[in-house]
Amino acid sequence: MKIYLELNGKQRYEEVAPGESLLSLLRRLGMKSVKQGCATGDCGACTVLLDGRAVRACTVFAPQVRGRRVTTLEGLGDVDDPHPLQEAFVEAGAVQCGFCTPGMIMVAYELLSRNDNPTPEEVREAISGNLCRCTGYVKIVDAILLAAKWKREGKWR
Amino acid sequence: MSYRLGCGIVRVVINMRLKGIRRFHYARDLEEALSLLSAYGGRGAVLAGGLDLARSARADLEGLIDISGLGLSYVRAEGGGLRIGATTTLTDLLESRPAREYLGGFLGEVLRQVAAPPLRNQATFGGAVVSAHPWADIPTVLVALGAEVSFQDEAGRHKGLLEELWEKPFRHIFKGAVLTEVILPPWDGAFAFAKLTRSAYDIALLNCACGLGIQDGRISWARVALGATPRRGRRLPWLEDLLVGKEPGPGLWAEVKELVPEKVEVGTDRRASGDWRRAVAGPLLTRCLARAARKVTGGNL
Ligand SMILES: Cc1cc2nc3c(=O)[nH]c(=O)nc-3n(C[C@H](O)[C@H](O)[C@H](O)COP(=O)(O)OP(=O)(O)OC[C@H]3O[C@@H](n4cnc5c(N)ncnc54)[C@H](O)[C@@H]3O)c2cc1C
Ligand code: FES
Ligand code: FES
Repeated sequence: MKIYLELNGKQRYEEVAPGESLLSLLRRLGMKSVKQGCATGDCGACTVLLDGRAVRACTVFAPQVRGRRVTTLEGLGDVDDPHPLQEAFVEAGAVQCGFCTPGMIMVAYELLSRNDNPTPEEVREAISGNLCRCTGYVKIVDAILLAAKWKREGKWR
Repeated sequence: MSYRLGCGIVRVVINMRLKGIRRFHYARDLEEALSLLSAYGGRGAVLAGGLDLARSARADLEGLIDISGLGLSYVRAEGGGLRIGATTTLTDLLESRPAREYLGGFLGEVLRQVAAPPLRNQATFGGAVVSAHPWADIPTVLVALGAEVSFQDEAGRHKGLLEELWEKPFRHIFKGAVLTEVILPPWDGAFAFAKLTRSAYDIALLNCACGLGIQDGRISWARVALGATPRRGRRLPWLEDLLVGKEPGPGLWAEVKELVPEKVEVGTDRRASGDWRRAVAGPLLTRCLARAARKVTGGNL
């Protein structure tokens, strides 16, 4: 079956299988920031935005995104032109192996789009379903709070 | 796709576990959803958020019927109670004004402890009712609240008390029916919720919901449900009867704590032993009861 979707600001018309996951579709389309950790909704490595809300791409069926807006990390920034959230993660030392980082950033993006002055507790609640096996989370929380500060100072897009 | 790692080969599967799906339908109205369900004769499933279906290993499913376009995403206040459309996501419910006002924000207290924000963005309230996992928090809360549901099958519309429906083979009912609405009644009193987990994100090892009304210093009504026992949440009528007419406070909570281990029906699963559940049920229930009582009196019970 074919579906329309808006992927990172671009209209796409894509062939999908009825039982395919959004994770599978996005990786087929080259969005390699979307990682498969568990494929059961538990780890958060595949988190993307669906109409501005963070969801697990592994638990969404690809046909469910028909006519909807999907944003992956590739839609926020890249190596040449990183998004302030990506820069904050580097600045705060919040990236080690990097496997959880795209999911963490997408969750943080949704949080900051609703609340640009979150408390550390609110940041912890937002990332509570995203697992990181390397950092111990402290620097991830620091990075999101730093990005929030930059957002309040107008360093954002 | 497969990758060679060390000496073994790890197969990376990035498709859903539901391998047999051949068709995906966007139902335009309830009638279409029902006639598709009936045409599949048990090999089709209603798809709401998809969180559970995506994790399901059902090999028999051939068709998915997406009901997100049926206009069932709403939260309405009515006569002090709430009407919640089946496809309302947990986030939309949590953020809606009627839900924030119902029972002093009790639903928010519960839903903030359910899963994590990205899962709540996808999970629907109706999906939680139909899945009704034994370990889940929402069924325990709905039983305590005396929730009713409306659903429709090819024979027509039906309404029922969830507590009674869950005692029937309800999964069989929903093979040919669409849940349309959950109705929460008004209560003159307060409810509290408590659960025990290994971490904030983990699912419950035991959960409970308690509601109390207090008049002239005595408990006028009580609703208590215990879940993840490891069975799905059920009311504890012996405890409700014991509480009514008594003065809430440390003396009563101590009496309850002493009785719980001998009265409560708990069991063992791979996540916790029956002995452990028996030992912690008393403190969990009394903590929850005390919180509900404090909410009613605003005092220090
Ligand atoms: C990682 C994870 C953590 C979780 N943590 C918690 C927790 O802490 N506490 C808790 O209480 N719950 C928890 N849950 C359970 C969660 O609430 C449910 O998985 C979710 O609500 C299911 O809703 P859905 O819309 O995604 O269902 P779907 O996957 O769309 O549907 C689930 C089932 O219900 C049927 N169905 C759905 N809607 C209808 C309808 N309107 N009419 C008829 N049939 C219908 C479907 O056919 C399917 O069989 C967790 C789930 C996951 C995956
Ligand atoms: S891969 Fe999707 S949540 Fe783990
Ligand atoms: S940086 Fe390695 S999992 Fe988070």
